[in-house]
Amino acid sequence: MQKLGEFKLPHFFNYPPYFTLQPVRDTREKQVQLWKELIIEYCRAQKVFIIGLEEDFPLFSNRAIERSLSHEARVAFLSALVSDGRAEWTDKGHKKCLILWHRIQEWADLIVHFVKENGLEDNVMTVEEIRSGTESRGTELYGIDRSVLMRALKLLEHKGKLVIFKGTSTDDEGVKFSL
Amino acid sequence: MRRRPGIGGLQNAAAARDQYRLLGENVAKLRTDLMKEQLSTFRSQLEDFARKHKNDIRKNPAFRSQFHEMCAKVGVDPLASNKGFWAELLGIGDFYYELGVQIVDICLSTRAHNGGLISLEELCKLLGQRRKGAREAVAEDDCLRAISKLKVLGSGFEVISVGKRKLVRSVPTELNKDHNEILELAQAQGFVTVDEVQRRLSWPSGRATDALETLLDEGLAMIDDGDKDGRRRYWFPCVSSISSYAGADTS
Repeated sequence: MQKLGEFKLPHFFNYPPYFTLQPVRDTREKQVQLWKELIIEYCRAQKVFIIGLEEDFPLFSNRAIERSLSHEARVAFLSALVSDGRAEWTDKGHKKCLILWHRIQEWADLIVHFVKENGLEDNVMTVEEIRSGTESRGTELYGIDRSVLMRALKLLEHKGKLVIFKGTSTDDEGVKFSL
Repeated sequence: MRRRPGIGGLQNAAAARDQYRLLGENVAKLRTDLMKEQLSTFRSQLEDFARKHKNDIRKNPAFRSQFHEMCAKVGVDPLASNKGFWAELLGIGDFYYELGVQIVDICLSTRAHNGGLISLEELCKLLGQRRKGAREAVAEDDCLRAISKLKVLGSGFEVISVGKRKLVRSVPTELNKDHNEILELAQAQGFVTVDEVQRRLSWPSGRATDALETLLDEGLAMIDDGDKDGRRRYWFPCVSSISSYAGADTS
């Protein structure tokens, strides 16, 4: 079984035709489905948030079978994820894609859970602490992309679960929970 | 008997023919009766045998296969009905029923990948994986039997031969001779190119492209434009095993 680091690759990844966009509709649908799942699972496992279409993202090519996804294919699969609400283009040129293996709402739920688990209901934390502090180590929040975190926090702020306030610099941006 | 011309002679010949015919029928009846008696003896001996070797039949696919052959020769079909002596004695009815259900399931779940055509070898392998904990091992012969039972139920399953291999078809797609020949060619490397088909089968270019396009439309083939030499390859998932693609075993 082939692996990328610790990640187990599915069998289709080693079958050359899957690296060519299929013309027949049903076959294409199956192909897109497989690639969508693979991309999401890989990003979740490796905590990848941004995929650069013109960069060397490991899933875009398989050296063992000497195949690479064309630019068109890459756009097709990522666009499918965008349509599902599981990804967003970060630029108009569609060069970078933000992968939401958790939707923003799911991230917000994780934050609430995290706060309750650690008895931080009335506490204050910096944004940085949430994503890299000792309490978050071992949780999914550890290493979360900052912009994704901010969006989740803003969502919670909108619901009155917390207040975001600016510190003396962006590094001190803080959050007061009131769950 | 002296042959006499005229009507009398004709009547004698007719009477002689009748007598011979009657004799012939009696002989045939005698033979049939003997045979029936032999068969009935054979059948009860077969039943005794089955009773004695019940476990072997259940557990050993090769033995089971030979047992079925014996039954077929005597005109006994242990799978004919779910009830009755055989099914109860051997529980074989359930075994093949269960197998049939699993086979249908595997064919359905792999259909998106292989277009509804799967090699018997691959099917058995996937069955084996699915039945890891089960008491009874499954051989290709068992698969074929289960599938023939499925056919009787009118489920559209069919086993076709392509070259040396057997493929199980679970969709109504009919394959013509051209398609068959391409599939056979594809068994070597898992794919073909238009050039290769034309060359090896001595076809004009239109014929090869048409056949390949049909196979593509039916979901039995996938295109691959990634080869260095720039030539399009047509891959056939039904002739490969899902876990034996190039590079799958590199770790």
